Amino acid sequence: MNPLSLDQPWGRGYIANQTHRFVDGGPLVAEASNLYLPRGLGRSYGDVCVNDGGTLLHTFRRDRLLAFDDVHGVLTCEAGASLANIAEAMLPRGWFLPVVPGTRYVTVGGAIANDVHGKNHHRWGTFGKSVLGMKLRRSDWGSIDLKPSDTLFRNTVAGLGLTGLIEEVTLQLDCVRGPGIEQDTKLFGGDGTIDSYLALDAASKDWEYTVGWIDTLDPNLRGVFFRGRHCDGPDEWLAPQPARLTMPMDAPRWLLGAWSAKTFNALYYRAQALRTATRETIPLWQFFFPLDAVNAWNRAYGKRGFVQYQFVVPTAAARETVPKILTHLREAHVASYLAVIKTFGDMPSPGLMSFPISGTTVALDIPAPDEKDRRALDRADAMVADVGGRVYPAKDARMSAAMFQRFFPQWRELEAARDPAISSSFWRRVTASQDLQDE
Amino acid sequence: MNKTNVVVVGATSAVAQAAIRIWAQRGMELTLIARNAGELERVAADARVRGALTVATVVGDLTNTTFITETVRAMNVPRVALVAYGSLTDSARADSDAAYLVSELTANFTSAAVWAQSLAERMAADSANGGTIAVISSVAGDRGRGSNHGYGAAKAGLTAFCSGLRSRMAARRVHVVTVKPGFIDSPMTAHIAKKGALWATPDAIAKGIVNAIDKKRDVVYLPGFWRLVMLIITHVPESIFKRMKF
Ligand SMILES: Cc1cc2nc3c(=O)[nH]c(=O)nc-3n(C[C@H](O)[C@H](O)[C@H](O)COP(=O)(O)OP(=O)(O)OC[C@H]3O[C@@H](n4cnc5c(N)ncnc54)[C@H](O)[C@@H]3O)c2cc1C
Ligand SMILES: NC(=O)c1ccc[n+]([C@@H]2O[C@H](COP(=O)([O-])OP(=O)(O)OC[C@H]3O[C@@H](n4cnc5c(N)ncnc54)[C@H](OP(=O)(O)O)[C@@H]3O)[C@@H](O)[C@H]2O)c1
Repeated sequence: MNPLSLDQPWGRGYIANQTHRFVDGGPLVAEASNLYLPRGLGRSYGDVCVNDGGTLLHTFRRDRLLAFDDVHGVLTCEAGASLANIAEAMLPRGWFLPVVPGTRYVTVGGAIANDVHGKNHHRWGTFGKSVLGMKLRRSDWGSIDLKPSDTLFRNTVAGLGLTGLIEEVTLQLDCVRGPGIEQDTKLFGGDGTIDSYLALDAASKDWEYTVGWIDTLDPNLRGVFFRGRHCDGPDEWLAPQPARLTMPMDAPRWLLGAWSAKTFNALYYRAQALRTATRETIPLWQFFFPLDAVNAWNRAYGKRGFVQYQFVVPTAAARETVPKILTHLREAHVASYLAVIKTFGDMPSPGLMSFPISGTTVALDIPAPDEKDRRALDRADAMVADVGGRVYPAKDARMSAAMFQRFFPQWRELEAARDPAISSSFWRRVTASQDLQDE
Repeated sequence: MNKTNVVVVGATSAVAQAAIRIWAQRGMELTLIARNAGELERVAADARVRGALTVATVVGDLTNTTFITETVRAMNVPRVALVAYGSLTDSARADSDAAYLVSELTANFTSAAVWAQSLAERMAADSANGGTIAVISSVAGDRGRGSNHGYGAAKAGLTAFCSGLRSRMAARRVHVVTVKPGFIDSPMTAHIAKKGALWATPDAIAKGIVNAIDKKRDVVYLPGFWRLVMLIITHVPESIFKRMKF
């Protein structure tokens, strides 16, 4: 499948001067004065998939499935294959991806480079855990096969595309009962804490998938908790409904303020409350990818784009710190739609730089952030750092170099493993002025 | 008998690959033909993983008449064929390089016509079943434009050839579909940076092609709005048209 834009990341609003190259299976030739960056479908929100002044290496046309062992569910494919493409081919045979993010329009290469997580992190861990092997192409060493025990494998998973171009991947798929999800919906919160969320989550450990939606603009912090597990369903569910709607234009600025966000969130909660405590069976596409039903919905946030702020704080600090950060952002009048809350499990991540740690994560969409919003987010960063948490690079467009280096002190190891012909706008931004930031 | 055999000529084209996926998922028997052996192997592997019953590959110079006739003679009788390859001619180069212009006309018209003709005869010989051939022409063939006169002329020839072939074969149970896509975001057009609302993805075009074959349509514009666009373009008076820069 094709990306929505060759230039813009999902959060949009970038002015970047980039040239484009389409990966064709040939060698990666280093050119003096030009830096490459592999790119999948550009579903990262910010500049991890932007390379201002350099060349993007587009992988989306290298999307062939190369071999499948249907006894063990082991698939080898090109790294530009989208999860949508794999799921549609494999679900009719009873196989599904063990980990999927909130959109299926990401490539396997992109899912590895950010080591993405899904609603089943507490039981499975990250996407990288299902990678059995990779073929990596570097400008200096040519093509190399990597297995999970290799150091370069560990640096490539969550390696932000910097260690080389992932060309082929061997994945372990998951055997599922059918195309349905048994979903159970519960309300939580209303008392200004996340205690009832944490209790619900703790009581739901035997559910394969758990996630919450939280109204961060309501001082009472109410929310809706979803839990699900695979189940059978009618054959029509084997293929997703094609997206019927396309966001026709950019939303106007006045629609994007705190007032609209508040109204939107309140309406959403009301709608969920009306049908709550229900158990239902729905197509898995709808459970995992509700937002994929509208093409290019990122236009809903207007021309100036938006950022997503996703942080995680360790389990011990979650109960106190999450409400503290959300209260801080609300009092600073930062508009936020559809915040998502999820508790990660404690299995170690396979990547050196993987984002998930055992603890609670919250992701907030913030349309067209202004100076005031940015200052509020900088303060939130400090609150996250103080308890040993971190902010997710896949969603980031704004964190300071100093903060990044506090969140990920292991970044120097990735820098040492970086292909000298590869860099990104993100990497240059967060590793800048390192000497000033140290100590 | 190979009742489900589908032949794709130019199987490495982005549009062809997307169509092959649809047929593979339907469990068809595929014969894939292209000039690039390495890429063709990948396309074939993909089709196998997606459920094609069998996949055979043939590698050769698609513009070579002997290769065309030999290949068609040797293959199982196809029920469906797609002639997909094509090359966007560099008009500036064609202005001064006659050999290049000839090779482009051969790729886009002469050889494609020979494939369609040979495949039609092979299908007609299997009089019990007949078959359907889809040939990818282009909206560019509806009117010659200054920016791509060579390509447009070849596609115009191909469109005319297909309409004639359709009529010749009508009584012999072979159906011909003329496919006229508009702008497609594929490797052929990768050099064009700005792509607006008129552009379609190879996936969408492939869906339209498979659907047109299933329904035995005669001429399809893909997406459909191009029929209207071309209606207008073909009605602009030549005195004005010749001065238009596009
Ligand atoms: C609606 C939505 C919901 C989302 N939900 C989640 C979620 O629940 N959990 C989560 O973890 N993420 C989520 N994300 C983020 C998304 O999953 C990641 O940003 C993902 O990495 C995007 O993949 P992509 O193919 O678009 O890659 P891009 O965004 O194009 O690139 C991402 C990174 O991968 C690198 N890369 C891409 N291909 C290769 C390759 N072949 N070789 C080497 N490096 C490569 C790039 O250099 C870049 O650093 C969501 C995004 C959206 C838009
Ligand atoms: N892209 C558009 O905007 C557009 C619009 C209207 C119609 N079309 C038509 O749609 C069809 C498919 O094109 P596409 O968009 O899928 O483009 P594509 O992916 O670039 O495919 C072009 C195919 O043609 C092959 N080819 C090119 N020159 C050749 C030659 N001289 N001899 C043999 N094979 C040759 C290529 O083979 P290799 O892989 O070996 O290079 C490739 O398989 C073509 O007929 C094209 O004319 C395209």
